[in-house]
Amino acid sequence: MIRRYHVVAIPIRIVVNNFGDHNPDGRMYVLKENESTVKELVRKNPFTPVELVQPLTIRANEGDIVEILFENQLPIAAGMHFQEADYNVLTSDGANVGLNPSSLADSGDTIFYRINAATEGIYYFTDLGNVSSTEDGFSLQGLYGALLVEKRGSWWTDPVTGGKLNSGAFADIHNPFLPSFREYAWFFGDEMEVDDLTGNRPIHPVTGQDVDSFHGVNYRIEPLYNRKRLIEEGVVNPDLDGEEVHHDSWVFGDPATPIMRGYRNDPAMFRLIHAGVKETHTWHYHLHEWLKDNSNIHSELLDVQAISPQSHYNVQPLYGLGSLHGAIGDVIVHCHLYPHFEAGMWGINRIFDTLQDGSQCYPNGMPIAPLQPLPDRPCPPRPTKEKPGFPNFIPGKVGCKAPRPPLGIVGGREMTELERNAAVPNARPGAVFVDACLGNPVVLEFDVSIIEMPLVYNKQGWNDPKGRFFVLDKDLDDVLSGRKEPEPLVLQIEAGSCIRINFTNRAPHVLDGDAFQLVTRTYETGLHTHFVKFDILVSDASNVGWNYDSSVLPGETIRYEWFAETELKAFFFHDHLFPAAYQQHGVFGAGVVQPRFSKFLDSRTGEETDRGTQVTVTNPIIPDFRDFALFVQDFTLLFDKDGCPIEPPDFPGSSDDPGIFAVNYKNEPLQFRLGKECDPAYSFSSFVNGDPVTPILKAYEGDPIRIRLLQGAHEESHSFNLHGLKWKSEHPDNDSVLRDQQHIGIAESYTLEMDIPSAGDYLWAFEDEEDVWNGTWGLIRAFDQQVRDLIPLSDRPLPPMRTKPLPKKTGKPPAPADPQSTLPPELSHDAVLRSFNVVAFQTPIVYNSFGDHDPFGIIFALEEDVEDILNGKKNPEPLVLRGNSGDLVEVTLTSRLQFDLFPFPDGIHPYPPVKEQAFYPPSLRISLHPSLLDYDITTSSGDTVGFNPDQTVGPGETITYRWHVQENVGTCAMWDMADLRNHRSFGTFGAFIAESRFTTYHDPTTLEPVETGTNVILKNPLLPDTREFVLIMHDGVRLVDKHGQLIVDPMAGVIPAAEAEEEDIVDTYDNGSRGFNYRTERLINRFRERPVLSDLFSSKVFGDPATPVFEAYPGDPVTIRLTDPSERRRAHTFHIHGHSWKFNPVDVFSRSVSFVGHMVPGSTDDLFLIGGAGGLFNYPGDYMYRSGNIRWDIEQGMWGIIRVHADIQAHLPLLEE
Amino acid sequence: MHNNFSTFRSINAIHDAALEDHFREGIGFKVFILTPSYPFMLIGQIVSLIEDHIELMVETTHFAQLENRTWLVHIHNIEVFYIEFPGGPRIPALNDMA
Repeated sequence: MIRRYHVVAIPIRIVVNNFGDHNPDGRMYVLKENESTVKELVRKNPFTPVELVQPLTIRANEGDIVEILFENQLPIAAGMHFQEADYNVLTSDGANVGLNPSSLADSGDTIFYRINAATEGIYYFTDLGNVSSTEDGFSLQGLYGALLVEKRGSWWTDPVTGGKLNSGAFADIHNPFLPSFREYAWFFGDEMEVDDLTGNRPIHPVTGQDVDSFHGVNYRIEPLYNRKRLIEEGVVNPDLDGEEVHHDSWVFGDPATPIMRGYRNDPAMFRLIHAGVKETHTWHYHLHEWLKDNSNIHSELLDVQAISPQSHYNVQPLYGLGSLHGAIGDVIVHCHLYPHFEAGMWGINRIFDTLQDGSQCYPNGMPIAPLQPLPDRPCPPRPTKEKPGFPNFIPGKVGCKAPRPPLGIVGGREMTELERNAAVPNARPGAVFVDACLGNPVVLEFDVSIIEMPLVYNKQGWNDPKGRFFVLDKDLDDVLSGRKEPEPLVLQIEAGSCIRINFTNRAPHVLDGDAFQLVTRTYETGLHTHFVKFDILVSDASNVGWNYDSSVLPGETIRYEWFAETELKAFFFHDHLFPAAYQQHGVFGAGVVQPRFSKFLDSRTGEETDRGTQVTVTNPIIPDFRDFALFVQDFTLLFDKDGCPIEPPDFPGSSDDPGIFAVNYKNEPLQFRLGKECDPAYSFSSFVNGDPVTPILKAYEGDPIRIRLLQGAHEESHSFNLHGLKWKSEHPDNDSVLRDQQHIGIAESYTLEMDIPSAGDYLWAFEDEEDVWNGTWGLIRAFDQQVRDLIPLSDRPLPPMRTKPLPKKTGKPPAPADPQSTLPPELSHDAVLRSFNVVAFQTPIVYNSFGDHDPFGIIFALEEDVEDILNGKKNPEPLVLRGNSGDLVEVTLTSRLQFDLFPFPDGIHPYPPVKEQAFYPPSLRISLHPSLLDYDITTSSGDTVGFNPDQTVGPGETITYRWHVQENVGTCAMWDMADLRNHRSFGTFGAFIAESRFTTYHDPTTLEPVETGTNVILKNPLLPDTREFVLIMHDGVRLVDKHGQLIVDPMAGVIPAAEAEEEDIVDTYDNGSRGFNYRTERLINRFRERPVLSDLFSSKVFGDPATPVFEAYPGDPVTIRLTDPSERRRAHTFHIHGHSWKFNPVDVFSRSVSFVGHMVPGSTDDLFLIGGAGGLFNYPGDYMYRSGNIRWDIEQGMWGIIRVHADIQAHLPLLEE
Repeated sequence: MHNNFSTFRSINAIHDAALEDHFREGIGFKVFILTPSYPFMLIGQIVSLIEDHIELMVETTHFAQLENRTWLVHIHNIEVFYIEFPGGPRIPALNDMA
């Protein structure tokens, strides 16, 4: 069916909360039918939010054709670009790309778009007429929305009236064959302009400085700073501090941010959309869990979704609202990045247990709007005086903090009569209004306290004098006396257990001030948990909405009850009262829900235990394994041994990336590991520097292991890389792809399950440059012979007795590795041998036709290409090697690095910067490390790590690595491991593509066989001929312009120009230029030639971009090999216009998407374009591929074109049928 | 050629009948079963056979809430099984930690 919408883009004032904070220059899409109403309402309400001012959400059904008449009332050209959709790129792209006609509408004009909505899901749309990253940019100012495509045959109604609904973020969706459900569209927005009532930038009442930038939901924020002012002014209870009541409706009433309402057990779907421009958020929904991909029942269970700009996820909470046990109350939904949370990026999912027909009020007298029950579910009971339903049985006092829960606090109160009427019959401490444990399972009891004591992070004495962390009461004496080294608390729990936590607040009630922070009265605290089931009203350990404040004062103990009904991952826990103030001091831990019937042993002594970051798990049915928990941290506020703060912010209390990084309260900065010879190539070597203080995870060769990967604090993305080992990307799904890298944001939790094939030291690292530089790395050590401090697994052969002494620190570099003496562990006997001669050398790299170039490029190239590159016949591109499944690949690497060709021979590398700058001279040694392939870690990983031999080469030396392509894993990243600081961002990276057996690779123009190249045709007797395009996304590049002037990106690339105050908002890891395949098409170069924003992507105006323009014919099978081998922590989204692929490339049941989210160093992806070139309908034209980050990627050149020719081109032979 | 399907015994029918016979012999003994669907693992005593469904008194599954009750499992839904006949290896005793 055809659905038609008339959409208008209008300038609009957006009021973001009830305090009058507003964006005077907002932009939004609105239905024509609402245009005059919304303009009138905004005129009449200049300082209060207007309901209709929200991101435009329209709906269609799968199979529909959606026709949009788009009218542009903005001052310059704009459009609507739809992700996920299939459309004619020449008419409906909503952009002006390459040689296409423009499908933008000029100011005052209209344009007609026709969109095919082939599959259910989120079709996010935004503007591409003005991609400026400044506050003049349309997307940044609110010009975004979504077309939500429902299952065929669906219709939708207004949740309040039950009537027809043409647009709106919340709807009830109905279908003749499927359950009705509540649909909540949640749009993250960030960096939008916000002024206060007076028209000035808001000032933070505590620091006296500008507040953080806008981090909101559906054009709304409910920041702490406004609510804190009401405390300071005595409008509400002045006894409070602030953060502990930030989400408390008893004190402040409900927030301006979304309140998503439903009844207990209602099916629901959150359409989670990142419409912002910069940050990668982690979306957390208390109490609930969902499948990572709701179309794949085997996909991983999540309760946190990391989401980067212009990406989106369907979040369908399992068991409906209130989860398995049917909890009621206010469930907070928020960005878990604490500075964003504090800035107001949160909302509430309100679960009622009684019918709301408009006759009820909240405790503060505000009427409760009606809420239609879903028609196919039982009608909730009407409220009565005795049983008024949530929230009216809670004995709170408006204007004061929420009351404490009944029963839970030791020595606390009993229930009131109304509470008793609302309680379950077996109400008990920690489970009063719902029986979270579903009957009477086995009970595990833990006595946990929070304490404060100094934590020492490394051998150099870097320390946190105000370390705060959780500890079991039985370990208190040992930890406080120094007999037990502090580590994040990890509880080991059997699935099916009812967990009772007796939590005592032993922390001081004041967090002292210093160079990082101002004094904060952190007088109450709790133990909030993820994943497991609990009574949200009394065991959330939070203070949310109209719920209780389930925390305790110093010296008090509270009982929480949790239920781990089935084997989950590690579940994260932390405090929820003052987390922004002190979680970065160490207030985090986890429980691991292990398979039922498991026992947990101390890996050193073999004694049974119930806690620890490293344990051995034994089970009568499944193989025994080692279990390791790693928590990465940022905003770690450390002082050096002399008491000087390390990377303090500009002013105390600033959340502008203070401090540095760590793992499990430890770090091992590379600056201290240069050794006597001052060669970075041995920074990871235990021979030269001894073992790191960071975790060394110990196992025997052949042991199964499970790594529980978590992030404890506080705001940033990190990239976990494990060298030489790999795991199924989705723990429960055998059809998932192999990975050895994982993006992680705060509160996420991953289980990485694998075996260790052979003995040796395996490097794990959070491996963007700045993280690893500051010490976020360690080892997995697999022994081949018995050691005293590691018990063998009971179901594995006993390791041989020790005959060789264990290696020790010598202070000298290790002997060179001999890869020819070993074979990859999984190699078969009759492998095909494929050989490459690779040379590493220095050469200038020209990044675009405007003269932006890297004069100090360091690259890998095949030996036969070196001369052509050096004499300028070939402008280099990253080295791409290929091999087929089953091949043994021998790569002979030679170093031709010369010391005088490095830009910073004095050892100080000023730009792009990292935190804790220090002397680190360039290494002349180099190596080649591949991800995902099978090799002997001690000879062929390219890492000189731990007690492994040297796998780098110096000038004139060679090494021949042996890599085995164990299966067609697709894209593998390659990079140098000898000097991450002085080499990588200059170009020492590439890709290895592991292809199917029997594949040959051909030049797309000559069809001759080739050995390397980013654009090839794959021929295989069993598969169709396929075009393979390799895109290597990279950042942190140091470029100079044609005059030799340093380009300080991202600010140098901002259009029309960066304003002075914006210079401050660049974090270290935003610095540097960026692009694809050693090329960048920075828009500023084009803008200087012709300052028309809507023409910037046009090849008709500027010619084709310097970035790859890949060519194909309609319907050609196309595979995109995508990787980000280098090198900054800022996560990128990748998007291709008009095309989609499977979220999980090896699972036909997984969802179709047109983006790859949160790309960080080490990430690899394989995109098999559905329908081939030109998408499902094979439309010819120019399709843009690009980053999804408006701030600061697209302007800075992270875009290019896939050109689908309608006519046969002389230079491009057709693929064979 | 005419097939008399009423008397025809396919290899699948023979296979199923053998399985049924084997389970019938196991009545009264303990069995360990893995299934591809929920609840994935069952340990308990075989009570009877009802056509090609096995009636089990389930002592242990992954979920305590589903134990100590009778389950019917269709033989086509059994991927792996082991019946603890006298003299054979014992099915491990599975006990919760507490």
